[in-house]
Amino acid sequence: MKAAPFEHHEPTSLSQAVSLIESLDEPTILAGGQSLVPMLRFRLARPDTVVDINGIDELDYLHEADGYLKMGALARHADVEDSELITERYGSFADAAPLVADPQIRNRGTIVGSIAQADPKGDWGSILIAHDGEVVAAGPDGERTVPIDELFLLPYDTSLGENELITEARVPTPVEREGSAYHKLKRKTGDYAMAGVAARLILDEDGRIETAGIGMTAVDITNARAADAEDHLEGERPSADLFEAAGELAAEQSNPESDEHGDASYKERMVEVLTQRALGDAAERAGVTKRRVTP
Amino acid sequence: MTDEREITLTINGTERTLEVEPRRLLVHAIREDLDMTGTHIGCDTGNCGACTVLRDGEPIKSCLMFATQADGSEIMTVEGMEDLPESDGELHPLQEGFHEEHGLQCGYCTPGMLMAGKALLDENPDPDEAEIREAISGNLCRCTGYQNIVKSIEYAADELAAQPATDGGTAAVEPGSSADVAANAPGTTGDADGPTAADDADGSDQFDGYDTEGGFSCGVENCCGGPSTDAEHHGDNA
Repeated sequence: MKAAPFEHHEPTSLSQAVSLIESLDEPTILAGGQSLVPMLRFRLARPDTVVDINGIDELDYLHEADGYLKMGALARHADVEDSELITERYGSFADAAPLVADPQIRNRGTIVGSIAQADPKGDWGSILIAHDGEVVAAGPDGERTVPIDELFLLPYDTSLGENELITEARVPTPVEREGSAYHKLKRKTGDYAMAGVAARLILDEDGRIETAGIGMTAVDITNARAADAEDHLEGERPSADLFEAAGELAAEQSNPESDEHGDASYKERMVEVLTQRALGDAAERAGVTKRRVTP
Repeated sequence: MTDEREITLTINGTERTLEVEPRRLLVHAIREDLDMTGTHIGCDTGNCGACTVLRDGEPIKSCLMFATQADGSEIMTVEGMEDLPESDGELHPLQEGFHEEHGLQCGYCTPGMLMAGKALLDENPDPDEAEIREAISGNLCRCTGYQNIVKSIEYAADELAAQPATDGGTAAVEPGSSADVAANAPGTTGDADGPTAADDADGSDQFDGYDTEGGFSCGVENCCGGPSTDAEHHGDNA
């Protein structure tokens, strides 16, 4: 099926895009298009106007600046996957990027588009939660930042205004003794997550967990924070027992639905396991030495 | 009707200008407007990869992109393969590989597989099996079970590696290369995954909790409170 006809705009600057979006009635913003294009052609979405932002070069970046890792609205999954900066410094991002869909889709799809789509099965929302990230939204009144915890409302629904677009997603640059990881369970290569967990740990000089962040994918109506597990971790020393307890708390806080991938209790158990694994990797990347036994 | 706009595509080296509606998908522009039906439409959802083409050298799914978005770019489809220098006017080594190794049955997915394989070999001329499987993970085949597709791409990698040798280039690769495939391909076992799998499997890596008693180790003796992101070591707090 073909998309219903729409009016089409291709702004080449952010200011042009912002004024366009302000003047149009409920425009849809097209970035990577890997979810939107099929939605349009199946007519699940029938916008009167589409604003294609792919020509706005100033939104195409992935770099560190002002204490943040900043991803412009045109940073693609493949940009994260191929970035040395990411490989060296952002464990969770490096874990997640190759697990997003497939190579062709990673060449087109964007991080910000995935977040703006607000699909609870999207991976990046969980990672932003674990990292206490935020998005920058541009609108007629200028720019504002929205903490990730205030962005997602419902599946495919965010707190953005109708005249706003997300120009950037960002997370704080890592500090000393910080590590992060992402673990994802999916039925086959290229699938959305059946369950996924992002974890980030910052340890104090004494080896105790100073900050813990845990975001969960596909086990609630939005990407969700495992706040009880985070509280349980903070102030403690990393240990397998501690991470097991955190996994149980995360599972309790998750709210998965039974579907063809598995029933809810199975998914909860998977949250528990993935949380332990993500925390284990995050701790190791933060500098905790794993104790190994040789048989 | 909505407005049509003029776009220019360089498709398989030839510049073509066409008028398209903004809602026209790239795959429809290629198949219907340019009459190049080598690129297939399989699933209509972005899952199957039959419509994979190279856009400025990168594999993309042409059913997930509007034609207007490809304005000004270079597109390569399966029809362009015979004109590549490595094809010598005949079948491209990848196509030859699919022929020799029976990399297809019904053939529907083949154009997409060829494009995904081409993108892989352009980036990585000597991929291992896992890398090949990853590269074609966005392309579904319902006939072959993928085994022969992997072999076909391995075949092409070896053929391409052997090619420069005939011009007096990288001679070292030449004689062993096809034997390599023969040795690897038929009974591809778990070993093909190579060193990483073996590392995990030797049992010495079992996880038994964390050393926290002694604080941190950054790997440098008599240092430190933990690794620092700028690789600077700090005072001994152990």
